[in-house]
Amino acid sequence: MIQVNDQPFEWKPDMTIADLLKQMPDVRFCSVVRLNGKLVSSPRFRETRIPDNAVIHLLPLVAGG
Amino acid sequence: MGSVKLNEIKAVSYDRAEVIKGYTDRSLHINLADNDIRIDSIDAAVRDKFIGGKGYDLWFMWQAVKGTTKWNDPENALCISAGPLGGTPGYPGGGKSIVTTISPLTGAPIDSNVGGYFGPYKKFSGFDVITLTGKADQDVVILIDGIESRIKIFNAAELPDNAYDLSDALTRYFDEEKPVNISVVTAGPGAENTFFGCLNFSWYDAGRKRVRYKQAGRGGTGTVLADKRIKAVVARYGAVSMKSNQPADLEALKTVTKTHAKEIHDLDPKQNRMALVGTTHLVPIMNDHDCLPTHNFKFGSHPGAAVIGEAVYEHIFDKGFDGCWRGCAVACSHGVKDFSPFTGPFKGTRVFVDGPEYETVAGCGSNLGIFDAHTILEINFYCDAYGMDTISVGTSIGFVMECFENQLITAEHTGGMDLSFGNRLNTLELIHQMARGDGFGAIVGKGIRRMKQIFAEKFKADPAFMQDIGMESKGLEFSEYITKESLAQQGGYGLALKGPQHDEAWLIFLDMVHNFMPTFENKAEALHWFPMFRTWFGLCGLCKLPWNDIVPEDNKDTKEPAKVMKHVQWYADFFSAVTGRKTMPDDLIAMSEAVYNFQRIFNLKMGYGTREHDTLPYRAMGPVTVEEYESRPDRYDTQLTDTYGMDITGMDTAAKVAALRKERESQYEQLKDAVYDRRGWTRNGIPTKETVQRLGIDFPEVLEVLAENGIQ
Repeated sequence: MIQVNDQPFEWKPDMTIADLLKQMPDVRFCSVVRLNGKLVSSPRFRETRIPDNAVIHLLPLVAGG
Repeated sequence: MGSVKLNEIKAVSYDRAEVIKGYTDRSLHINLADNDIRIDSIDAAVRDKFIGGKGYDLWFMWQAVKGTTKWNDPENALCISAGPLGGTPGYPGGGKSIVTTISPLTGAPIDSNVGGYFGPYKKFSGFDVITLTGKADQDVVILIDGIESRIKIFNAAELPDNAYDLSDALTRYFDEEKPVNISVVTAGPGAENTFFGCLNFSWYDAGRKRVRYKQAGRGGTGTVLADKRIKAVVARYGAVSMKSNQPADLEALKTVTKTHAKEIHDLDPKQNRMALVGTTHLVPIMNDHDCLPTHNFKFGSHPGAAVIGEAVYEHIFDKGFDGCWRGCAVACSHGVKDFSPFTGPFKGTRVFVDGPEYETVAGCGSNLGIFDAHTILEINFYCDAYGMDTISVGTSIGFVMECFENQLITAEHTGGMDLSFGNRLNTLELIHQMARGDGFGAIVGKGIRRMKQIFAEKFKADPAFMQDIGMESKGLEFSEYITKESLAQQGGYGLALKGPQHDEAWLIFLDMVHNFMPTFENKAEALHWFPMFRTWFGLCGLCKLPWNDIVPEDNKDTKEPAKVMKHVQWYADFFSAVTGRKTMPDDLIAMSEAVYNFQRIFNLKMGYGTREHDTLPYRAMGPVTVEEYESRPDRYDTQLTDTYGMDITGMDTAAKVAALRKERESQYEQLKDAVYDRRGWTRNGIPTKETVQRLGIDFPEVLEVLAENGIQ
C-alpha cells in the first residue's frame, strides 16, 4: 500500500510514477511529484519506480519565479 | 564595524496622517539638491486610478522626469510605495515595497518588488509613497521617524561601505532598545560602481537577533540611490497590528487572512515546502525539464545541478522563522549562518548569508558552470553586501564566459583571468573588481548591452554573435529560465515592460509541458491576463508566491486551474476588506490594466516602448550554435520535419540551425501581433487612443506622448 495525497492506494511491484498517474483522475497539470520527500519531474515519471509504503504528493502546478 | 557618526543637517516635524482603509493619502518628496522636504496630499482621483505601490511610484515619477531625463540626472526620481494592503501582519506575503526609477540599464522605468519592513513602516509613518530626487553634495542618511513624527537628513561621512554592516549599524543607532522598529534601505559600493546596483531592504530578525535583508534587485535601483549619494533611508515605526491599516471591515480582513494563512500552513509542507527550502525546489525541477540556465543559457540541464538544489540547501539553511514580513506563512527568506567566505574583505570571518533563492543559484551557479553550493553562497553574500543584483551579475558573467571560451575576448582583456565556465575563484575576483569599479570588472559591471558595444569596438568581437548570445533585452539581463521551447514565455520575457524578468508572466509549464495554449490567440490571452494579475500584487504591496506557489487541493476541479481563481477571489476579498471598495476578481485585472498601459506609455515617453524594443536575443528562442543544436538533435530534427514539414535529408547542422531560426523568429513576430491585438495596442506596440480612453488614463500628457508617436 502507498499513500497518494494522503489517501491509501494499492501498490504493485515495478509500479512507476507514470503507471500511477494513469490511474488517477485529472492529473493534466501534474508535472512534478514528491516521492518520499524527493522531487521527481515528468521526464523521469516512466523510469521512476515506486517502492512499497511510499508517500507521494502530486504537485498540482509549477508556477515558477 | 565602524562607529556611527551622523551630523544632522535638516530636521522637520510633521503631523502624521492616519492610515485609513489602507491609505494615508500623503506623499513625501525629498529633494537632495537643497534638502527640501515636502508633504503633499494625494488626490482621490489618483488613488482610484493608480491604486498604490507601483501605480503610485509611476505616477509620481512621471511628474518628476522629462522624456530626456537620464538615470543620473538630478530630476530622476527613486520612488518607494507599499500599496494599500501592504503592512497587513499575518496575511501571507503582505509586506512588500515596490521601487521604481529610471534605470541605468534600460533608460526606462524599472520596477522591483521587495520584502523587508520598510514599505509598511514608511506608510504607517504617514506616507503612501516617497520620492527621492536631486543629488546630495555629500553622503547622507535620511530618517523617516513615524514614532516621533520627524524627518531628518544627516551628513554621513564615516559609515561602513557594505550594506551588511551599514544596515546593522544604523538599525542599532536609531533604536538600540527596539531594533525591530527599524528598517533600512541601503545599496553598497557595488551599486556605486556598476549599473546593476540593488537595494537591500532590512528587517530585524528578533529570533536570531540580527538584521536580515531582501533585495530590490532588478534594473539598477541601487545605482540610482548611490548616484544621489544617499547611503541609507531609514524608517522607524512601532507596533503593527491588523488594525494599523484601519481596514474598512476588520472582521472580514481577519477571516480572509486566517483562511489563506491556514491553507499555506497546511499545504506548503505537501507541495513546494518553501518554508523549509525557499525557492530552491525549482533547481531540480527546472533541470529535469531542461529549463535551468547552464553555460550562458546554452543548455537547460547539467548533472551537477543535483548538488545545488533543495536537497543540499535544506540542510544548510539555518532553522527558524524566515518571513520577510510579520507572520507570513510562506516564510521563504532563508539564510545560512556562520558562513566563512574564502575570498574578499570578509575572508575568514563568520557572516550570515540571506539566501540563496532559485534565481541566484541558477544565475550564479549553473549558468556559470559552478556546481558548488558554498561558492554560490559566497557570491550571494558579496553581491548583497556590495549591493549588486545577483541576476544581472550571473547573466552578465555567463555572457563574458561564453565570449572568453569563443575567444571573442582573451586573458589580455580580462587582466589575465581565465574566465572559462566553472572558474570559481576568478568569478569571485571579477565580482570584487565590479564592486571596486576596477580592472575588467569595471567593464562587466556596465551590463551586457554596453559590454557588447565595448567588446565590438575595443576588442573587435563579432557583434552579430554577441547579439545572439547576450542575454539581455531592453538593456536588462534575463532572469533565470530557458525559454527555447516555450514561445509563450519568450513573449513573457520579450514583451515585459521593464525587460526580461519573469514577474510579469511565467508560462513555461503551462505552455511547454502542458500544451495548455496551443494557438497564438491562446498565448496572447495568457500574455494579457497573467501580466495584468501579477501587476496587481505590485499595486497593493503584496508578494505573488501565495497566489500560485501553494495551490488549493481542489484547484484541478475548477474551471480555470491555471489562474487559481479561489485565491484570486480571496485577494478580491482582501482588497474589499481593507479599502472598503467592493471588488470582484475582474476588477483586479481592470486596476492593473490601467497602470500597465500607463507604464508602456511611460516607456514611450522615454524613447522606448515600441515593437523594436520588444526584441529578443536568438538564444532565448532557439539554438544559436551547432553545438547547441547537436546537444538535442532529435528534438530539433523532429520539429523541422514534423512541425514545419521540411525534408532535412542531406542538410548539415548549420543549415538546420538556420532553417529552425527562420521559423522561430517568424513565430515570435506573429506572437507579438497577437499580443498587441489582445492588449489593444497598434502593431507597433503602442496603446491606441481607444485603449487609453477605455482605461481612463487619457490624461492630456498621455495623449500628448501618443500624438508625438503618431497615435491620434
